[in-house]
Amino acid sequence: MTTLAKDSMEAVFEGWTSTVGKPTMDSDVRMSTRNVDVHYGDKQAIYGVDLDIGKNEVLAMIGPSGCGKSTFLRTLNRMNDTIDICRITGDIILDGDNIYDKHMDVVNLRARVGMVFQKPNPFPKSIYDNVAYGPKIHGLVTRRAELDEVVETALRKASIWDEVKDRLDQPATGLSGGQQQRLCIARTIAVSPEVILMDEPCSALDPIATARIEELIAELSENYTIAIVTHSMQQAARVSHRTAYFHLGRLIEVGKTDKIFTAPEHKLTEDYITGRFG
Amino acid sequence: MDKMTFDKHTSAQFNAELEDARKHLMEMGGLVEQQIETAFKSLMEVDTDLATRAIEKDKDVNKMEITIDKQTTQILAKRNPAASDLRFIISVTKTVNELERIGDEAAKIAKQAIELADTGSGPQGYVELRHIGEKVRQMVQSALDSFARLDAEAALSVMQQDKAVDLEYGTAIRSLVTTMMEDPRSISRALNVMWALRSLERIGDHARNIAEQVIYLVKGKDVRHKKLEKVAEQVKK
Repeated sequence: MTTLAKDSMEAVFEGWTSTVGKPTMDSDVRMSTRNVDVHYGDKQAIYGVDLDIGKNEVLAMIGPSGCGKSTFLRTLNRMNDTIDICRITGDIILDGDNIYDKHMDVVNLRARVGMVFQKPNPFPKSIYDNVAYGPKIHGLVTRRAELDEVVETALRKASIWDEVKDRLDQPATGLSGGQQQRLCIARTIAVSPEVILMDEPCSALDPIATARIEELIAELSENYTIAIVTHSMQQAARVSHRTAYFHLGRLIEVGKTDKIFTAPEHKLTEDYITGRFG
Repeated sequence: MDKMTFDKHTSAQFNAELEDARKHLMEMGGLVEQQIETAFKSLMEVDTDLATRAIEKDKDVNKMEITIDKQTTQILAKRNPAASDLRFIISVTKTVNELERIGDEAAKIAKQAIELADTGSGPQGYVELRHIGEKVRQMVQSALDSFARLDAEAALSVMQQDKAVDLEYGTAIRSLVTTMMEDPRSISRALNVMWALRSLERIGDHARNIAEQVIYLVKGKDVRHKKLEKVAEQVKK
């Protein structure tokens, strides 16, 4: 980073002390983070984030590219563990368990905190096997009939059952992009997670497929906690209950989505969602 | 929100569209102010030519209403405005509506002036009429100024003035009723004055509504149907 860029970055945060709005909740918390810092090597990507995500809540995280929203999302199920130079400090608690505790089983954690990615990434297997894979490796089912039921329930919950029920043995890669993404969501919910993380789940989809995923998010929020990172502010406004705005690794503002999109308090939030350059 | 920064969007076209809507709104405000002035003068001076001009002006005001509504609809459809941009579009739309109604009331005042001229007499209840007319004109001007300058405190003061106008209106009406009881021959004329007073009072209400939109735009707080003390608290926050 050049000296100039660094100076201007610090200028932005001159006087910045804490997040605007109410990042923590009094009750019904599913996941909470306290003072979370993330470093990639000697570069700090996240600065002291405190944030709660409620039960049955859809939390949207927005911010310009490089603001740390995806990095932050990935800390919530230890996806960053695979990056050697990534170092995370602070507490991330899921239902009372610190997920970075050394006794935490990461495989089990990722069943409890599932993830849906930007590009649909079905396994090169049949539609059925894509959904059955998780419950099988986690030993959630033993008999074939049980497995059939889990697969059907997951596909139904992901609103794709009617489209695939007659071709469960066909390769998942033959589905359309939107169908593949819903299949990935079915795969995630097949292992009965508590939290679903979504990293720009619609950015590779057309408007109709996007609308179906958004509809699905609303339905899923009845049973799951959802944290979604999106570049589409309109999507954040449509699907989420609360919105968190990140800027250069800081959590700038959190609030009810209704308020953030009509009357945000912080100037950086305002500038971002109105499309003004800072 | 401190000042309107239409020039700061990444999209220069969006900047231009918002600026255009703002300019047109101010233009429409100017037209309406002129219309009130002409209508009021026609009433006080019992001048039917002026009155006709005030009525004619209503057409221009109506045209502006349609132009601005078209612009704001386009902006909503194309730009999905959020936060202060969204509040701006909403408050422009509502203010346009209020201005159009002010125009209607001004035309009604001019019609009363013509009727008074036909009966060959000037307005009774003259003092109150002049007083309320001046106040209301000032209110419309201040409301539009507060919009142009995004001045929530000035908007609050418009809302406070409306309360005073409502009180004076009540007094004027009582005095006209007394006149009518004392001299039944004055009833027809007194009714014309009463209608004009009523229109002025309504213009005051519309100015107050514009002021409420300014506070919403600047502070992000909906202050409609709230007590003045509460509004004052929100403005000062």
